[in-house]
Amino acid sequence: MSELKQHDVAFTVNGKAETLSVSPRTSLADALRDTLGLTGTHIGCEHGVCGACTVLLDGKPVRSCLLFAVQAEGAAITTIEGIGDAQSPHPLQRAFNECHGLHCGFCTPGMIVTLSAFLKEHPQPTSADVREAISGNLCMCTGYQNIVRSALRAAELIEGAKP
Amino acid sequence: MSVKTTVSDTGPWVGQPLPRREDARLTAGAGTFTDDIRMPGMLHAAFLRSPHAHARIVKINAEKARALKGVHAVITGEDVERLTKPISTIIPFKMFLPNYCLAVDKARYVGEPVAAIAAVDRATAEDAAELIEVEYEPLPAVVDPWEAIEQPPSLVFDEIKSNVIWHDTFSYGEVDDAFARAAHVVSDRFSVQRYISTALETMGVIGKWDSSGLTLWSGDQRPGFATHALTTALQIPHSQIRLVSPDIGGGFGNKRKATYMVIVALLARAADRPVKYLEDRQENLLGLVHASNQVMDLEMALDADGKILGLKLRDVVDEGSNVINPTLHSMLKFTNMLNNYTIPAVRFEGYAVLTNKCHSGANRGIGKPFMCFVIERAVEMAAKKVGIGSLELRRRNFIPASAMPYESPMGNVYDSGDFLATLDTALKTANYDDLLKQQEEARRAGRYFGIGIATAVEPNSLNLSAYTLMTGRTDTSGVGEGALVRMEGDGSVRVSLGNTASGQGYETVVAQIVADELGIHPHRVTVAPGFDSAVNPWLHCSGSFANKFSGTDVGAIIEAARTIRGKILRIAAHLTGRKAEELTIREAAIWVHGANEPLLPLAKVAMTAYRDLLRLPEGEMPGLEARHFYVDPQSNLPAMSKDDKRLRFQLTFSNSAHIAVTEVNPDTGAVKIHRYVIAHDCGREINPMLVEGMVHGATTHGIGGALYEDLIYDKNGQMLAGSFMDYLKPTALDVPEFEVVALETPSPFTPLGAKGVGEGGSIPSLAAITNSVEDALKPLGVTLTELPLTPNKIWDAIQKARGEEKRA
Amino acid sequence: MKPAPFQYVAAKSVDDAIALLSKYGADAKLIAGGQSLVPMMNFRLARPEWLIDINRIDGLAGITQQNGMLRIGSLTRYSELEASEAVQRGVPLLRQMLPHIAHEAIRNRGTIGGSICHADPAAEMPVAMLALDATFELRGPSGARRVAADDFFLGQMTTGIEADEVLVAIKIPETKNDERHGFSEFARRRGDFALASAAVVLRFNGGMISDHVRIAVGGLSERAERARKAEALLAGKTLTPTLIEEAAHTASGEVQAGQDLHATEAYRRSLIATQVKQALAVAADRTSSTGAKK
Repeated sequence: MSELKQHDVAFTVNGKAETLSVSPRTSLADALRDTLGLTGTHIGCEHGVCGACTVLLDGKPVRSCLLFAVQAEGAAITTIEGIGDAQSPHPLQRAFNECHGLHCGFCTPGMIVTLSAFLKEHPQPTSADVREAISGNLCMCTGYQNIVRSALRAAELIEGAKP
Repeated sequence: MSVKTTVSDTGPWVGQPLPRREDARLTAGAGTFTDDIRMPGMLHAAFLRSPHAHARIVKINAEKARALKGVHAVITGEDVERLTKPISTIIPFKMFLPNYCLAVDKARYVGEPVAAIAAVDRATAEDAAELIEVEYEPLPAVVDPWEAIEQPPSLVFDEIKSNVIWHDTFSYGEVDDAFARAAHVVSDRFSVQRYISTALETMGVIGKWDSSGLTLWSGDQRPGFATHALTTALQIPHSQIRLVSPDIGGGFGNKRKATYMVIVALLARAADRPVKYLEDRQENLLGLVHASNQVMDLEMALDADGKILGLKLRDVVDEGSNVINPTLHSMLKFTNMLNNYTIPAVRFEGYAVLTNKCHSGANRGIGKPFMCFVIERAVEMAAKKVGIGSLELRRRNFIPASAMPYESPMGNVYDSGDFLATLDTALKTANYDDLLKQQEEARRAGRYFGIGIATAVEPNSLNLSAYTLMTGRTDTSGVGEGALVRMEGDGSVRVSLGNTASGQGYETVVAQIVADELGIHPHRVTVAPGFDSAVNPWLHCSGSFANKFSGTDVGAIIEAARTIRGKILRIAAHLTGRKAEELTIREAAIWVHGANEPLLPLAKVAMTAYRDLLRLPEGEMPGLEARHFYVDPQSNLPAMSKDDKRLRFQLTFSNSAHIAVTEVNPDTGAVKIHRYVIAHDCGREINPMLVEGMVHGATTHGIGGALYEDLIYDKNGQMLAGSFMDYLKPTALDVPEFEVVALETPSPFTPLGAKGVGEGGSIPSLAAITNSVEDALKPLGVTLTELPLTPNKIWDAIQKARGEEKRA
Repeated sequence: MKPAPFQYVAAKSVDDAIALLSKYGADAKLIAGGQSLVPMMNFRLARPEWLIDINRIDGLAGITQQNGMLRIGSLTRYSELEASEAVQRGVPLLRQMLPHIAHEAIRNRGTIGGSICHADPAAEMPVAMLALDATFELRGPSGARRVAADDFFLGQMTTGIEADEVLVAIKIPETKNDERHGFSEFARRRGDFALASAAVVLRFNGGMISDHVRIAVGGLSERAERARKAEALLAGKTLTPTLIEEAAHTASGEVQAGQDLHATEAYRRSLIATQVKQALAVAADRTSSTGAKK
């Protein structure tokens, strides 16, 4: 096998400019986790079905396991670490806690990243809307009901925080 | 909804819907799962897995793989045979079984690891795996379990000389007499497919050697079991093995894998570097573990009034290549075969059979979903035969609340529960009479609308003495757990458990329990996340299995906390010149019973215990730390007599009633769940919010098993569902909004009156859905006995019924 | 589950992509959205030595209207089609099919051109293209050519595109006022590949169906295809429930249907009939002749 050419790729992650040297076959998910240490993006299937690795690419949810890092040149990427943290949680993070929207927590970053983009577009969703929005994210623990509840609660919290 | 949603500011804390402590890190993506751990110099492993279901391994040439740049170590069966002993088995086989961590003589299922590589990264390790040349001599694959018994095309383990790894008959009560007296006998064959919980985090292990021995990081949910297997396989002292469990991304019984640990340990030793292995999803589906496919022939004897007199059961469990812990499905199924009915006589003939498939093992509810499926389907069939409604038949046969505690013919003692009340609660919540009207209207409109009911017991904890009855093994008995409670000098508390959490919320519920015992706020109790065998107290049976937390684990936690409490009161009494019996602890202070003012702060007593060593009561050891190993007092030993096979197999019994309302599209066979009502009773609820979450999740597992999931093998033993494109999990659009109501009948057998809830939903859901679909298709006269109910299968059944209608 | 090694190059223009394809030949593969290709690469079922990324080519994405046609750049993503008013107004059938394609995160990356070239028989896009009389603009070393959807889908994931050609755009005639259409799909779960799907377009002449009838069927064993006998059956007739039944039955009998993990052949044929029937029923139901309303 011939030596693979490494590629330099520059993008922003959670608002911070990053330049990485990656192998062409390194997925964005692996680059975020291994090179940048952002291990909140989880890998659950590596074939685009489970949604655990969902990140925002220029504001839109995408599967980071189906994108090579080298393809993200110039993009603005948001991972769960950029959504909020324990000190200043995003309303979704608060709502998931209030409504018991997680058990093991492995799907949670992908769920919250997906829902963060969804709630921007749909500030007053119904539970059917939420189910549709998370239908590409698998959760093996909750049966989804409390995730739906969490999303609806987060919408309330966001609405309530408006001036 | 019955869930209490407000949290008070004071105790008692048990019973309150406290939001979870662990969520802050998990919602922020700041958890530490096995794959999140990084170490300097760490290598990554990949396995070469067998493409054959059954093949002799003639020759392996790994030279090209070893020569690949970036590869640090390659091991094959040859190395494994030289460096390790086979993985120990629960059944004490008299012959030697070459059951190593890698295939040595032959590969026994598609996906069995044949070689392992450690390289600088996973991609390079996978490149190397492709360079390993294996010469296989394919052998006939054993796929069908009946064929495996009657006309085996080959033997999975030649050494055993049979594919039947276990066969026995357990008989309780006067079975022949029951059938002689029967007015009605119902008989049919039922089957369930292989499926599995597929925790979203796949199984992983990191191994590292240093002067103190081997340290492993892994989301293993039975650490005692795993480390024991390791010490045997690697032939190193148990004291030199340390197992650390970080956050676990779901377990459901599946996360137990000593073979991965042995492979990683060998690679790490060969490479002299830390090595990480993480299954990819394909490997996870092919080779972690499967719940067995099972077939059961049932005969049920009833009298003219519909009282069940007895059961005759003949059951085959397809264990795949499992020689490590077979018979689990058999045991957990037949010992609970009464479900929640008074059935005085049961004969169970069971076979555990080896085939060339992935090894079977624990999966949420193991054996009991099929137990309930068979009984609750049979109850529906029996009701038709007797000519009464199935609700009435259930009512006539329920173990009455007044009979509690009730000893089953098998020796299980049902602790508490009002099965009739549970069913009635479900019916009331569902507005059952309205449902019947809706159904009538729907049927008039030509729609296929079904109402399916299933009731179930949910057994808790597992008395490991059962192995004596199953395998003759006499070195394992009872069940227990360890807990360590340490109050620090400031009055705050740290707790470590022998169990490992994989989503159950122990960091929160254990804090609630300990806070009540020690009179402090739960925020002052820190429950160590994860598990560390070098620090945490644990037993061979430690870990997350058999729904044992609420009874067995809580026993250990409470006993440890009470030891501390007693000591605090003794020291406080000594400091204040009072008697310990006069004192109590609440709101982080010592009080005289009934007083309006506290006597002294708890922290003062705690600090004394650590610092003021000469002012302690005479003979009192300093410090406030208690490590308690608890033996569940309900567990017992088998009788000395060989014929007496009674035992308290499982120790307490939660129960539930599910009502599924479905509609079937007769053109496509698709099932739509309109409503799903659950009444359940797991005794006193420690945290109702978490309890309800468990009910949702477990029921969703059952819906997956009933309608979607199938680890299907073709006749050559190729597994056809090796990705999430083909192994279908329910999504948010496939599960309904559950309507859950809780009853709370405290258990007299557990310290808090609490009982298990983790498995419950997964048990009656297969039956509730199937009863509902069959009811929907009642106008066509369809009978459903095989799972899963895929649209294709339902459509086939409809065609068959229509064909029969035409012929008639 | 990591891809086999490959070299990566981002094409700067369509000409650049063609030059790279010509240079590397069968060892090269274009990547657009990558939502089907990358899973196959991760499973090592696809192993290109060179991956030519066309995502950076300017002007390859976008929707324009010209002369009663919609011209959709091959790199246009599903989510862009979903948001496009031109699509909603001009080709409502296409708009109606989009939500059936996987899930939002996939539609944010997946492209119309990628799906057409991947030509999965169970995917929605080939079925839509057949029903809508789409034409594909291909460019290669010797220039541009046009291929009708009818001549494009040749077999199991094989198409009429040459190894050194790039699909540049898709042209779809805008829906006429006298057209009715319908789409129906059956999948195990929402977002899954179809076990059977059908898209129909019927042009009417007064109260009668004209001879412009399109019934395209997907979820089959080899390729999406048109049910031409069923089409012929409808031409020149009035759309009645009996005729719909007949057409559905004919369609399910004439197309190739194999079996797989989720469906036996008999079941799949029955599903095809059901889906054709449903799609025709939707078309018959439409009060508005364009069917632009939901």
